[in-house]
Amino acid sequence: MQHAPTADAAHVTNTGIDNRKLLMWLFLASECLFFGGMIGTYLLYRNSSVTPPYPTDRVIDGVAYSGLFDIPFTSVSAFVLLMSSVTMVLALAAIQRNDRRGLQIWLAATALLGMTFLAGQAFEFTEFHKEGLSVNTNLFGTSFFVLTGFHGAHVSVGVLILVALWVMARRGRITSENALNVELAGLYWHFVDVVWIVIFTLVYLLQ
Amino acid sequence: MLELLTFVLAADGKAFFENPAYLLGIPLIAVGALGVLLAMSPIELKWPQPAPAEEEYEIFDHPADGHPDAAEYVKVGLILAVITGIEVAIYYVDALGDTLLPILLVLSALKFVLVILWFMHLRFDNRLLTVMFTTGMVLVVALFVVVLSTLGASLV
Repeated sequence: MQHAPTADAAHVTNTGIDNRKLLMWLFLASECLFFGGMIGTYLLYRNSSVTPPYPTDRVIDGVAYSGLFDIPFTSVSAFVLLMSSVTMVLALAAIQRNDRRGLQIWLAATALLGMTFLAGQAFEFTEFHKEGLSVNTNLFGTSFFVLTGFHGAHVSVGVLILVALWVMARRGRITSENALNVELAGLYWHFVDVVWIVIFTLVYLLQ
Repeated sequence: MLELLTFVLAADGKAFFENPAYLLGIPLIAVGALGVLLAMSPIELKWPQPAPAEEEYEIFDHPADGHPDAAEYVKVGLILAVITGIEVAIYYVDALGDTLLPILLVLSALKFVLVILWFMHLRFDNRLLTVMFTTGMVLVVALFVVVLSTLGASLV
């Protein structure tokens, strides 16, 4: 028996991949270059600032400057975002076996972890600003805030998508038949996570 | 015209083949132009096709057989947490010196690959998706090489 195609049913394509999924991966591939450009810019300019504050401890002309980075705090933030990827993939696994209750729980957990990460970033930005770093203070400030700010914006969009999915799940509008909606949101969320994996290493840990 | 050609071939006093921006940038632009021409041409690319579906409206994105279960996802998550812990721990080990950089890069790459392959299912999905994403990553690495080598920055 053949099923009539519905709005959510996948369709036959010449690639064998649902077009929405293909488009999401194309988008993510382009995002690699988006973030790659900004990470490259940060690496280029991070040691070019002629005025403090600086990212790490350093002595210039006999004057000692304390670095701004708080590695233990950022490590916790990175861990929180990493665990949100685990809860996201558990949400997908739940709906693929038609466990709607599990989907709601794991989506809510992912959104909450994402909000926790954003709160941590807001705290970090505030602390840096108190120390005299703004987007136009020096090259470090400009490249750092642009890079991490754009990442934070991506996380914010991800949280909005997750909350929207959670509301849809609460209303029973997500089933195993249209689990692709959750998978697409998951792809975006995991990508935001892997970008932070790179930022955490190249920006915070590499001195 | 002659002035422009002179500028392109000997920017900043460097010979053409001494400039990494040209060595990598021009081939990348050529590949991009080739892609545009290919996209506009009547040539039809045939990607690897999945096994014939039993039904006409087979849904391709059903959870495929062989996808990990929740327990495996949790295991991968634990591995990622452990790697993050190791990264932070070795950050404080002064004795590592210059070896810290390659170790951190390897650990970061490991986490990256684990998330991409397991959580984003590239390990289990159509290979075309892997090709697309890998292309993006290769372009990023090329971008890093061109920008950082041309402008004289280094990671350390």
